[in-house]
Amino acid sequence: MTLELLTDLATPITRGILLGGLYVVIALGLSLVFGVMKLINVAHGDLVIFSSYFAFFAMTSLGVDPILSLGMSMPIMFGIGFAIQKYILNRSFRVSMDASLIVCFGISLILENVYQIIWTPLSRGLTTGYALKSFAVGAVNIPLVYLLDFIAGLAVMFFLREFLGRTYMGKAIKAASQDHRAAILMGINTERIYGFAFGLAMAFAAVGGVCLGLTFPFTPTSGPQFLIIAMGVVILGGLGSMLGTFIGGMIFGLAQCVGGYFFGVAAQMLVAYVLVFIILAAIPRGLFGR
Amino acid sequence: MRLDTSLLRGRWTPLVIAIVVLAVLPVAGAPATWLLYLFLFFVYLAMANMWNLLAGYSGLICLSPAAFIGLGGYTLVIITWSGLPFYLGIIAGGIVAAIFAIIIAYPLFRMRGIYFAIGTLVVPAALQVVFLLWRPVGGELHGGGAGYMVKGLTGITTTDTYWMALAIAAISVFLMRVILNSKLGLGLAAIRDNDETAGSSGINVFRTKLYSFVIAAFVMGIAGGVFYTYQGYIEPNSAFNISWLMTLLMATVIGGEGIEDGPIIGAVIVVILHFLLAKYAGLSLLIQGVILVVVMLVVPQGIMGLIRGGGIHRSVRKLITGRR
Repeated sequence: MTLELLTDLATPITRGILLGGLYVVIALGLSLVFGVMKLINVAHGDLVIFSSYFAFFAMTSLGVDPILSLGMSMPIMFGIGFAIQKYILNRSFRVSMDASLIVCFGISLILENVYQIIWTPLSRGLTTGYALKSFAVGAVNIPLVYLLDFIAGLAVMFFLREFLGRTYMGKAIKAASQDHRAAILMGINTERIYGFAFGLAMAFAAVGGVCLGLTFPFTPTSGPQFLIIAMGVVILGGLGSMLGTFIGGMIFGLAQCVGGYFFGVAAQMLVAYVLVFIILAAIPRGLFGR
Repeated sequence: MRLDTSLLRGRWTPLVIAIVVLAVLPVAGAPATWLLYLFLFFVYLAMANMWNLLAGYSGLICLSPAAFIGLGGYTLVIITWSGLPFYLGIIAGGIVAAIFAIIIAYPLFRMRGIYFAIGTLVVPAALQVVFLLWRPVGGELHGGGAGYMVKGLTGITTTDTYWMALAIAAISVFLMRVILNSKLGLGLAAIRDNDETAGSSGINVFRTKLYSFVIAAFVMGIAGGVFYTYQGYIEPNSAFNISWLMTLLMATVIGGEGIEDGPIIGAVIVVILHFLLAKYAGLSLLIQGVILVVVMLVVPQGIMGLIRGGGIHRSVRKLITGRR
């Protein structure tokens, strides 16, 4: 009996962990922006969707594979992020933190409507040849894109970790996030660092967008939905902790898939949200929060 | 606490006159479109006032107004579908929202600052799923999803909904004045500025925050019920949508956050924009987004803040030169 349940559960557990990778990619950009600028970027979900649409455009109009299109979309997203930070957010930072939050809401509103005008409100998906493939490990059947999500999650986390620890720019970003004033005194141009950090977060969002498009269908208003998931993942793990974000992503994916197994697919997000809420109520600073 | 009645009388008079004039309008035969504009203004004003109470005066960046509004609307629907009187549904909507606020306050108030904001953001998303799955009262489906028509509206005219909206807006304005002039208001301001100091000065931080949270939820619940009476239809995707938050945020911020009269001006502007931009359906929200960003960069203190504080030239200069 228990053995049967375990073998039955093997599929949702593996899927949950792998799907967690997608949430990690989306959440890491949010986490980086929060950690460095103390800003809740509520437009993050919509910026992720931008990359999904970019890949969709590249696939349907230019015939480029979504994963290869990252070669174009990552630099573009980096530029967009840098510009948003330099021309809009740095200005609003001088006003107040609330102002920045509201500006992000405005940006999210603008983006969603631009997508609707350009790509219509229809649901889209990046349906490539490999998007529907799956392979079996024992009794467990795994869709290929889920594995891709997990690999992307791991890759982005390790890249970010090494980048922040080893390069000059990474160290400068860390310094600015730890003590803004001291960083300025050490000769770091924090506004430029902020631009760079936001650009980097957007480059990750590009990866997240492609993974998202391969895994789920998306519409112009999908952004907030994934924003809320990413928010849940980030605070679950504790703000500012990369490992926390990674584990938070796994927990969220697991809650969704295992919850879906027990309560039906329609209720799977509810299970995940309630779990986030319960964990936060028990540990208000998240699992690895400082 | 003794009230200085002479001062009070002077401050309440213009408000009372305004309410009386507005209440007479439908009887005096004002055009229906005016009444519709005013109706939306009242509903948004009541909600924005409560959001201002939370964000501007209590320091609770609460991103879940949609939860209270949607609950108010759904309670109304459930009550009327059960054959109970309509007005009971409106009041029950407020009560259910308030009880819900008390329940979520226990876990939520353990979180602080940004954790609180994000914690509240998850609440409407979870409720949306609940109401997509749960069909509390039977009956045939109207449209897709789990939508309901509001039943039992036969005796209720547009004038009645107008008066209900006016009443809830007036109550919200009165509430704000009373709260801000009371010990509760002082306690909230102290908590907003520094909750640890407030706690050590003998303020019960949890209870004070809870009072403002529950009051806000109650008023938002009722305003939600009134809004869905006008709409006549409710479904989970729009009832618990993040766009409610956007509307309230715009009303509060454009008017001036943390300023008592701010939401009044803000709600007027939101309603005007709503109808001005209705012609350009696709672009409407886009333009609202641009306005939100520009207002935040040019006049971050809002219109009322601008009138009270510095001149407009200073703000524009600040934007151009990029200096403080």
